[in-house]
Amino acid sequence: MFSDFKNDGFMYLLILAVIIFVCAQAIFFMKKAWARGKELGIATDKLKNAVTSSAIFSFAPAVGIAVTVITLSVALGYVLPWIRLTVIGAIQYETTAAIAALEAAGITGGISQPVTDPEIFAAIAWVMTIGSILPLILIPIVLKKIQKGVSNVASKNSKWMDVMTAAAFIGLIAAFIGRGLAGLGSSKENIIGDGAGVLSLAALVSSIGFMLIFTLVNKKLKKNWIEALAMPLSMVLAMVVVVLINQFAPDLAAIEWRY
Amino acid sequence: MNKTYMDKVHTWGRIWCIASLVFFICIPVAICLHLDVWPRAEIVGKGLASIAFFFVTGIVEVVAYAPMLGAGGTYLSFVTGNIMNLKMPCALNAMENAKVKANTEEGEVITTIAICSSIIVTTLVIAVFVIIFALNPQFSELMASDTFSPAFQQVTYTIFGSLAATYFVKHWKISIFPIAAITVLLLFVDPGIGVLIPVGVVLSMLGAHVMYKLKKV
Repeated sequence: MFSDFKNDGFMYLLILAVIIFVCAQAIFFMKKAWARGKELGIATDKLKNAVTSSAIFSFAPAVGIAVTVITLSVALGYVLPWIRLTVIGAIQYETTAAIAALEAAGITGGISQPVTDPEIFAAIAWVMTIGSILPLILIPIVLKKIQKGVSNVASKNSKWMDVMTAAAFIGLIAAFIGRGLAGLGSSKENIIGDGAGVLSLAALVSSIGFMLIFTLVNKKLKKNWIEALAMPLSMVLAMVVVVLINQFAPDLAAIEWRY
Repeated sequence: MNKTYMDKVHTWGRIWCIASLVFFICIPVAICLHLDVWPRAEIVGKGLASIAFFFVTGIVEVVAYAPMLGAGGTYLSFVTGNIMNLKMPCALNAMENAKVKANTEEGEVITTIAICSSIIVTTLVIAVFVIIFALNPQFSELMASDTFSPAFQQVTYTIFGSLAATYFVKHWKISIFPIAAITVLLLFVDPGIGVLIPVGVVLSMLGAHVMYKLKKV
């Protein structure tokens, strides 16, 4: 009776509602920010550049997220992972939450087997939801206070604040760079490309290299489209480098110094 | 009293945030009603206990990311998730391109627009590709194959590599210490990226503060 309960019409109605809700919210904020940008005298080109650059940049990671939906679909069907990765979700969280709920129900083997019991499926949906909603409770309470504190500090010592803001961004980026250079693989199995090794280093070095080339070219040509495309193109080209190394030098690609 | 734009952003953000909270809780409720099953509290409780760590990272993320994402960006990003691999890089890249600073109203406008654009595109791309994958299993097998999966596995490094090129070149003096410290730390212990990010941010800010006091930046 419930053989396809994970992918039935009702579930597709749910994801449709989620998509409409998420896009409506984004369109609402976009319209308000655009109007304010015009009031502040920000050039339309700059506003358009923010839209196009982010849109192009988001494409490849979004395909990566869709691949994750497929990975989770073996156990959970298409729609629940799709909903979860459209709202709040993050790849590492959803997988962990699903496995935690399965293990709580006494099912070992993780997400490799289809969930056939509707009660366990519903339990997974609850664990994934409750486990991730804390920020949505906190933000309406604390965000204004945090922003006010930051603005106060910024108005008192703007140079120090500029340095600290740049340092915060750099700390964040450094965490990922450090992982690419010396991070352990996240799985117990030895998966190629999981830990720091040739592939992670190639991804880092080539994306840095491509970005520097685009920056230099843009300094000469001063074209808006180069600026908008620099980051997404650097990213995609670096992914191509990774695919090529993996295809044509598999022995080299398999080298990992942390696994 | 006239409300400023920032006041209005907080009002809109709070309304959308609370609406999202209610809506998202309605999803498992709707699933339970539709399937006519209610999971035992014991299973849900045990599952949640195993992922209690995410509650802590949830608090840390709000405090750490809010000043970088801006008000509108924070409300939007925490509703749609995928902050580190999508929203934050979009916001940083857009601010760099527009030459505006975080924690200014111009920065607020640009990050909000960039994050909105990312949300719409991501939502639609995921939808299109999931439908393609669902209808063509051989295509999803190809994307998850040994040929393409390494590229998706390394996508985070390609994102942060290209961001690093912009930030490290501009602020190389304060970049060396956090990269070196994080790399050395990882040789001894790898606490996972959820812990590594706040550690990296704190180390980087401490290093930059010392250099600022020594008038090196």
